[in-house]
Amino acid sequence: MFTLAILHSTIRTEEKLLVAAARNAGVSVKPVDIRRQVFDPRRFAPEFELALERSVSTVKGDYAIAFLEALGVPVVNSLRVARNCEDKFQTSLLLSSAGIPTPRFALVFSPEQALEAVDDFGGFPVVVKPPFGSWGRLLAKINDRDALDALLEHKEVLGTPPQKAFYIQEFVRKPDRDIRAFVVGGEAICAIYRESAHWITNTARGGTARNCHVGVEIREVCRRVSEAIGGGLLAVDLFETEGGLTVNEVNHTMEFRNSEEPTGVSISGAILDYCLGILRGRRC
Amino acid sequence: MSFQPVTIPISGSCPVCCADISPAGSVEESEVLSCPECQSLLVVEGFEGCSLVLREGPSVEEDWGE
Repeated sequence: MFTLAILHSTIRTEEKLLVAAARNAGVSVKPVDIRRQVFDPRRFAPEFELALERSVSTVKGDYAIAFLEALGVPVVNSLRVARNCEDKFQTSLLLSSAGIPTPRFALVFSPEQALEAVDDFGGFPVVVKPPFGSWGRLLAKINDRDALDALLEHKEVLGTPPQKAFYIQEFVRKPDRDIRAFVVGGEAICAIYRESAHWITNTARGGTARNCHVGVEIREVCRRVSEAIGGGLLAVDLFETEGGLTVNEVNHTMEFRNSEEPTGVSISGAILDYCLGILRGRRC
Repeated sequence: MSFQPVTIPISGSCPVCCADISPAGSVEESEVLSCPECQSLLVVEGFEGCSLVLREGPSVEEDWGE
């Protein structure tokens, strides 16, 4: 019998859904709170065949993946995929290199270079994001030079080192919504519209979820994104523009508590099936 | 580490405001709960019989997310 570990740092609704899906499928599941482990390769004996990484902390999650992969335990998502998603600059570079539509972006380290980038984009507004971060936190829509100067000065004085790398993205005019597609092994299994009158549409910031039909365009762009990022379990955030879909961000430990009901798709079940498929493949 | 769904009525006390916490469904160790009185984020530290051992949850940190 397979044992699947769920690496976590807190149990949220998503982890409970995953545990329930595993138990319903008769799969042995072992939740592992990574904050309580000693990742010493001389004493750690994995009691599982595969790990699903669900840490809410990106840093802790990365170290847990790196440790288990070094021991030869497969982890979903892999360290490669995690790192490709968690750093917005890295994600943008991969999307751009693969020719996948994505908003214009630049990374700079000083206000002077930020202004150069904005000029290259065609002027304000732009969006300044921390390269690492989630849930729509610390995003700033910058409408003019005064605001840019003030924001960057505050980041330089008050920010942690990662906050002093300024990721700048063109502001994309879109309807009062974006699309989040859930992608499993390259296939978009379902999608939601995240609707909000605010330009930040994350459900963590109050956006509401409504089912979005997965058509050919969503399916194809998600397949290409998955290929560029390295496969696995992804949440792909898309903007609708006059020129078609453009990929804003890609997430590797997606939350889905608000998405199973509107889509009617068991995302937790699909995640479990994907993990079981990998396990079966390794046993063949 | 134990990780058993609890199916019997179970309750605890909010470490912030002392309100009774009686979750409706099953509860897991490390699960995040919200106090209905003071809205504090709480974490299930463990179980002592039918009592939940709760502590105040950590603040959201810079690297938290999806």
